Amino acid sequence: MSEPTTTAPTEAGASAEPDFLKVSGLHAGYGQARVLQGLDFTVARGEVCAILGPNGAGKTTTMRALSGMVRGQGSVTLNGTELLGRSPEQAARLGVAHVPEGRGTFNDLTVEENLRVGAHVRTGRWRRGRAERAVVAADLERIYDYFPKLRDRSRQTAGSLSGGEQQMLAIGRALMLRPSLLLLDEPSLGLAPLVTRELFEIVRAVNEEERTTVVVVEQNAQLALDVAHRAHVLEAGRLVLSGPAAEIREDGQVAEVYLGVSVRAGKNG
Amino acid sequence: MRTILTTLGTGRARSLRAALTALLAAAVAVGAPFYFAPFQVFQLTMVLLYAVALAGLNLLVGFGGQISLGHGAFFAAGAYTAAVMLDRYDSAHLATLPVAAAGCFLLGLGFGVPALRLRGLYLALVTLSFAVFLPPLLKRLEPVTGGSMGLTVDKLQPPAWSGLAEDQWMYLVVLAVTAVALLLARNLLRSRVGRALLALRDDESAAEVMGVRLSLHKTLAFAWSAMFAGVAGCLYTWVIGFVSPDSFSFVLSITLLAGLVVGGLASLYGPLLGAAFVMYVPSVAQDVSDAAPGVVFGLLIIAVMFVAPTGLAGLAGRARDAATRRLTRTAPAAGRTPEPAPTTAPAADPAPADAEPVGAPPRTEKE
Amino acid sequence: MSAVTEVLQQVVEGIGSGAVYASLALALVLIHRFTGIVNFAQGELAMISTYVAWQLVSSGMSFWLALPVTLAVSFVGGMLVERIVIRPVRNSPELTTVIVTVGLFIFVNAMAGLIWSFTVKDFPQPFPDGGIDLAGVRVDWSTLGIIVVVAVVMGLLYLLFQHTSAGLVMRAAACNPASARLSGIRVGRVLMLGWGLAATVGAVSGVLVAPVLFLEPNMMGGVLIYAFAAATLGGFDSPVGAVVGGVVVGVAETLAGAYVGVIGADLKVGVPLVIILAVLLVRPQGLFGRAAVERA
Repeated sequence: MSEPTTTAPTEAGASAEPDFLKVSGLHAGYGQARVLQGLDFTVARGEVCAILGPNGAGKTTTMRALSGMVRGQGSVTLNGTELLGRSPEQAARLGVAHVPEGRGTFNDLTVEENLRVGAHVRTGRWRRGRAERAVVAADLERIYDYFPKLRDRSRQTAGSLSGGEQQMLAIGRALMLRPSLLLLDEPSLGLAPLVTRELFEIVRAVNEEERTTVVVVEQNAQLALDVAHRAHVLEAGRLVLSGPAAEIREDGQVAEVYLGVSVRAGKNG
Repeated sequence: MRTILTTLGTGRARSLRAALTALLAAAVAVGAPFYFAPFQVFQLTMVLLYAVALAGLNLLVGFGGQISLGHGAFFAAGAYTAAVMLDRYDSAHLATLPVAAAGCFLLGLGFGVPALRLRGLYLALVTLSFAVFLPPLLKRLEPVTGGSMGLTVDKLQPPAWSGLAEDQWMYLVVLAVTAVALLLARNLLRSRVGRALLALRDDESAAEVMGVRLSLHKTLAFAWSAMFAGVAGCLYTWVIGFVSPDSFSFVLSITLLAGLVVGGLASLYGPLLGAAFVMYVPSVAQDVSDAAPGVVFGLLIIAVMFVAPTGLAGLAGRARDAATRRLTRTAPAAGRTPEPAPTTAPAADPAPADAEPVGAPPRTEKE
Repeated sequence: MSAVTEVLQQVVEGIGSGAVYASLALALVLIHRFTGIVNFAQGELAMISTYVAWQLVSSGMSFWLALPVTLAVSFVGGMLVERIVIRPVRNSPELTTVIVTVGLFIFVNAMAGLIWSFTVKDFPQPFPDGGIDLAGVRVDWSTLGIIVVVAVVMGLLYLLFQHTSAGLVMRAAACNPASARLSGIRVGRVLMLGWGLAATVGAVSGVLVAPVLFLEPNMMGGVLIYAFAAATLGGFDSPVGAVVGGVVVGVAETLAGAYVGVIGADLKVGVPLVIILAVLLVRPQGLFGRAAVERA
């Protein structure tokens, strides 16, 4: 949902801004454990980028470094602005919406309140002009159009939703931020295959209609590659393969060596 | 190989040094009443008996990880047990000690059962409200406890054969009881009970999976802890010769916790340091103002939690570790230089060998 | 006076003291919701706020002007306490945070003694003498005043949390701090606001109870125990529970004091102990709490 000032790219890599998100020499970890050993990749504006790899490869850590949840060294720029060294709330204010692993909805709040919290950055805490309210109301409608189930449950607390609905709500809340970069961490975790499929279709629709740049981490490589334009494969904190999603999907050897690994590893996780 | 030998050597040296230190400490402790003035001896006696209470609280809080804001109540129970026995039944002083200990152990068991079901925080609430409730209860039980007037009983008197003054005799008796109590606390912690407690504090569910009988050990921790506080209370009656409900307000409970924290949680000699604090900070600070002890204590507790959660004992321990590290670093180096370099040992070898003991202690410290 | 009106009389008085407990319990619950901490120093913070009010009133300010000033000072004070004392141990084990609030308790208590001495001070009664007669039950203006003030505070809090975007943001931060940060909420500021609000609500209880108990540094120690009982009964994460719990504890205390011979006036402080124990053993999450107390 970026401002419609540039021409809409419909094809992967057709963007006028190939370096919209630019990650260079990214190192990150927890305490003594260095998880990321220097990542370099770029994501073009309007692109869906999948990050694949086995458990412990550093996929989630990459996402956390992008949104400021873990400290990182190196450089990450979004539209030319450095993201590293910022707190999650600052990153959110710069347009990075991170849907964390395990969803992270506000379970005591109603569905609609969850979504309103998502718009908090834009509406400000004290300014609640009529115009703002109208904008938020329009955005709510837009989210409900993507996720009709949420509309039905708008007065229910998030804690009473099913896993799939909570994931939808988490994505909806992130979209209320009108993000320039949407980070989805394992959206399929714990969900039935059918629900997952539906979710990814919505992600595709959001990307096409809003032109939101999406980075998605996923164990289910096949599904992610169906939606993504480009994919990066991580192993042990390093990038071992990058390319257009279609190529990676077609490449039998890649599938066997890396994605096979990821599928097997997924069983323990 | 050589590192193993040196470790063995330092291990033996350390135990020898520890034995010498203990001997010296014992000599100083026994000699103290013959050197200091009676009032100072009295203060030292109080330090010792507070140390017993703190050692008990330490079992629960420091090692068990459970919070009690009501240990003053067990202290009071021990003190009143002794006072009532002396007052009504003319018991011998020494006879009151096992009764107070056993009574408080049972009281602790009784408390340990509901404590079982409570997370630390709620245990703190319950024990605090018990501590608040006890003084009015003591006042109510006037026929036995003497009500708000309290009970005045005989202090511990030196036997004629000893030729000692009252303060000296009391000091020595309390010293003996304290020594036994601290040794008991130490042995408890080294026994299966102690290891179970530590395992429970660090990870309750993991400990349970490993077969630690959670409920038993948690209840026992409470009971032992209450027993120590009761023994301290009993000694208090012997030394002061007077008990009243207002001596055991919930401020005592909070002061005990404060002393323990400042002295050092989960440390074996933290209780002694903490007891010195409980005794001397008020008496020194009170010259400034009635409120000064509280200001000092409050600030110290917060400061200790911020910078040194292991308390004074931890700071001392860290300093000692640093000193030993420097010693062990220089000692092998000195032993090494005159030897001709063995063919297999490259020049870089000593560095990593040293690096391990240097790096290791802080790592355990953090846990 | 019939037995029924006599009981009603006790109930009315119980509600009066219950309102005070409710207000301090609400402060405890707010802080527990926002930071997961039970603040043992809550009563002492309320006590020091009361001293501020006393200082203002005795320097000639009218009570009804001194009250909002005191509340504002308490709000700022609560925020500072969070920032200076609590923030550094925010990610520490529970044992550490409990001990820190106990340290704060001792410190604040002693500071009040240092500044204002431990002698008891007379606090002006803001409400007029006398009262009204409702079917034989006498309701003092002071009792009624306490109930009304606490009700107004609760109402304002309800409006803040349920009907403002600031309240929504605060609830979100309390519910899931990590996700709140990812939504751009400055959780650190929200926590400060939470402590500020709690200190304000607690200050109300201190100011209301001071004319009854007389002002001295240990004034709130007993009230804190009742507030703990109220919060435990209502559930430590339920503001509504804190209010209901406060009233129940207040009424139970008065009735027990009046009708249970063994308890009498002097042992009333046993009532909160019994309530806390009973609730924790029978229904640890409290009447309105959802999150169960972690059991052994």
